[in-house]
Amino acid sequence: MKRKFENIEVALPFFLFSALVIIPLLLALDRLIYVSGKMPWQVFSSLDEHYLSQDAIGFTFLQALLSTALTLAIGIPIAWQLGRYHWPRIRLMRALLTLPFVTPAIVAAMGFMAILGSDGFDLRGERSTYLVSLLFAHAWFNIALVIRFVDPVISNLDPRMEEQLRLLPAGNSRWGRLRCFWIPLMFPSILCAAVLTFVFSFTSFAMVRWMTPSNATLETVMADVGGAAGIENYQIYSNELVLASSTIQFLVLILALWLLSALQAKRSRTIAEVSESHSRKKGRTGWLVLIPALLFCLSPLMAVIRSSLRVAERGPVISHRWTLEGWQSAISGDYAYISIIDALQNSLGYAILTLVISLPLGWSLSSGIHLLEKRGSYWAKPLDILTMLPLAISGVMLGLGILLGIIRISTVFFTMWWMPAIPHIMLSTPFVVRLLLPAMRRQDPELIENAQVLAMNRWQILTKIRMPLLRGPLIVAGIIAIAMSMGEFGASWILVRTGAWDTLPVLVDQLMTRPGFDPLVKPTAMAAASLLMLTTLILFLVAERFRPDGDGGMF
Amino acid sequence: MNSKVVLVTLIAFLASISGCLTGAIDDKGMMIDERGVEVPTERVLTIVTYDIYGLTSERIMEFTNQTGIKVEMIKLGDAGAILNHLLQTKEAPQADLALGLDNTYLQQAIDRNVIQSHGANISNVMESAWLPYNGTMAVPFDQGSICLNYDTNSINSSQGRDVPTSLWNLSEEAWKGKVAIPSPVTSSPGRAFMIATTDYFANDDDETTNWTDWWSAMVDNDVIITSGWTEAYETHYSGGYGVWNDDHIGDANFVVSYCHSPGVEAYWADNYTISTSLTLDRASFHQVEYATVVNGTANAEYADLFIEYLLTEDVNLNMPIENSMYSVLIDSGLPADNGYLYHSELPSLNAQVSPEEIAENMDSWLAAWEAAMV
Repeated sequence: MKRKFENIEVALPFFLFSALVIIPLLLALDRLIYVSGKMPWQVFSSLDEHYLSQDAIGFTFLQALLSTALTLAIGIPIAWQLGRYHWPRIRLMRALLTLPFVTPAIVAAMGFMAILGSDGFDLRGERSTYLVSLLFAHAWFNIALVIRFVDPVISNLDPRMEEQLRLLPAGNSRWGRLRCFWIPLMFPSILCAAVLTFVFSFTSFAMVRWMTPSNATLETVMADVGGAAGIENYQIYSNELVLASSTIQFLVLILALWLLSALQAKRSRTIAEVSESHSRKKGRTGWLVLIPALLFCLSPLMAVIRSSLRVAERGPVISHRWTLEGWQSAISGDYAYISIIDALQNSLGYAILTLVISLPLGWSLSSGIHLLEKRGSYWAKPLDILTMLPLAISGVMLGLGILLGIIRISTVFFTMWWMPAIPHIMLSTPFVVRLLLPAMRRQDPELIENAQVLAMNRWQILTKIRMPLLRGPLIVAGIIAIAMSMGEFGASWILVRTGAWDTLPVLVDQLMTRPGFDPLVKPTAMAAASLLMLTTLILFLVAERFRPDGDGGMF
Repeated sequence: MNSKVVLVTLIAFLASISGCLTGAIDDKGMMIDERGVEVPTERVLTIVTYDIYGLTSERIMEFTNQTGIKVEMIKLGDAGAILNHLLQTKEAPQADLALGLDNTYLQQAIDRNVIQSHGANISNVMESAWLPYNGTMAVPFDQGSICLNYDTNSINSSQGRDVPTSLWNLSEEAWKGKVAIPSPVTSSPGRAFMIATTDYFANDDDETTNWTDWWSAMVDNDVIITSGWTEAYETHYSGGYGVWNDDHIGDANFVVSYCHSPGVEAYWADNYTISTSLTLDRASFHQVEYATVVNGTANAEYADLFIEYLLTEDVNLNMPIENSMYSVLIDSGLPADNGYLYHSELPSLNAQVSPEEIAENMDSWLAAWEAAMV
């Protein structure tokens, strides 16, 4: 009886989540197949037959693989330094180094442009630099993953293990310790970070669009033609291109996520851990790594703030003047339907709605997976992958799915202000699960068993044992959900947007794509971008305060 | 696993939905309150548009103050996105009025029954704005010609870089990799320019080549194709305001934009610009943007009122400044301030292609363009 009840408890959140994620996807797929008259495997060749999608498959893989390699090359030394040595203000440093990951890509791309442009390193004139700059931009975006996965493994390690190793023949030399101890220890975490970096580089959109304008990826192809998809007897090729791109993307990413799930389960079953304060040593030369790392992470963001404070002085000589006019026009809403203050309120409103739904949903999903894992159920892994599915669906497919789904169900939903929150919930829930599930796996099962012995009921176990113990990961998950929602742009952009509901990222995009004949337009856009960034930074700093020592979750 | 959390999840989800359903509007335009009772709603006009820059919040507020009709905006990327939206939501239209379909998309909207006749009282629109289309399905609200612009600093006769006298000049070595054009597949100005090339090469002296040959020659000459106007003009064009931007590349000396873009440049830069337009006969496209009433709307009357508002002198004469486009009102023109008018050249002969021809041939033109480019 109890088991049956538990089964329902597990099934219900998965049913809810599937309804949210899979139904729109299936509706979109069904529509694309119906309109194009072809099955997904029949349209792969169409990618090479069109100018805008030529070489997209090759370039998508190339840049994703190279980006992953560069991210690891930059990220591992940083994670090593952060994890192994004692640093003042380490929470602040972690927050700053993680900030790029939640920075909206369009803002980050603008920051990189400012650094690489004529006012910076002046590299944009040479096309051969485009791919390298994209790789660095992706590395910038993803090093947080390496830090968040690898740092806890090092910082929580019981120092006695290393001391014991030194007594053994293999531990005599630095190379020996690296080969026999550190590499096997860190390998699963590095692979986890690598897989996710690959996933995010594979689906990267704004960075590719701005950094390598002459190359297309599967994601940019879908964004280019996705708007015309799903309409009968109209631009049939766009349906074929979206179908082909999304199928390839989906297959590759589902494989990557399966790998990630397997690795993460392995990772949380590693060796005994201690509180990180036990294991830290004094660093000596580490600043040589950390100062450039902080500069690398912060300079694109500083560049955005700088651009918000400069207005072009048009004339024969290129010059700018320092002013707050960009901020003033952003606050008064001169160039947009709403002001940045209204947009911030909208963003925060959607973020809170996202939090209210995705946190309990993510908790229920994590609990369900954890329960199945404990039982050794065959279903644990597929359901674990299911929770990551939104990461494998492109923003365009997600948006298109919801759009087509809603048209079929009821158009009343179009007038509902909460509609744009759906993609936010879909995208933030996987992050909540990634944070809570490892923490649940780490929890000592004896605590719950003891509580049961003490005749505590389920509600008491939840509120008095499980939730207080997971308070740190829960708060971090909540803040990450808010940050993801605040930065989400791609999917909600595809959905119908009512001007009064504009969020900050949508406002930034509107201002960025507005013709900039008027010199105040760009600083206004940059002011909106800066506000978005600063809000996210504050959220992150708050999250860091609640993070438990050596938190081994995704962030 | 705990049932309470599941319960809380469900309650939160349902509460968020039910809270909003009380604000739902039924098919009679009535709002349903908490008790399920119909109550009259405020008068709301929903407009689907791309960012028409002239429609600032003050302008919208002014309309609301004059008529008591509240305006809601659905903002999309460009004219193509508006047509896509109208087609996708044809069975259940979301908007009452569409602003921004141009004469490259209008006929498709008419043929596919997504727009209906307007009832607005219009008498002050100039004749040239009615040239592409003069029926009752659409009302022009702004216009301009799309053509190549070039950076005058790039012209250097001693290096073989003269002002082109034919589009074929741009496929020569001197301009290799120096021309940026938005893709006709993804951009409205790009599409308009492609249409112009079909007419240009159909009427040139050379009968052995056609328009697709020119595009193929441009591919061989490393033409830069971008997904939208912004990227072509801001990022690639060396003669525009992009040079002041951080993301500027500046590798293109020619770009597809409006023939009056140099005038807009000058207006915002105290009469300074190095950009000018290349107004070769039939190599430009006269674009007219329309206000169209969405088929099946219950608020056609509000849409008509807005169209009339859009054509008042107060709003429409400001198009050159607020929307960087020509007004459509009789006897209107560009302002002379800061060299706006002086730097805005009018093509003597635009491409002559009717909306019907465009609608009929667009799919095959785009397919031919793709074939020429691959």
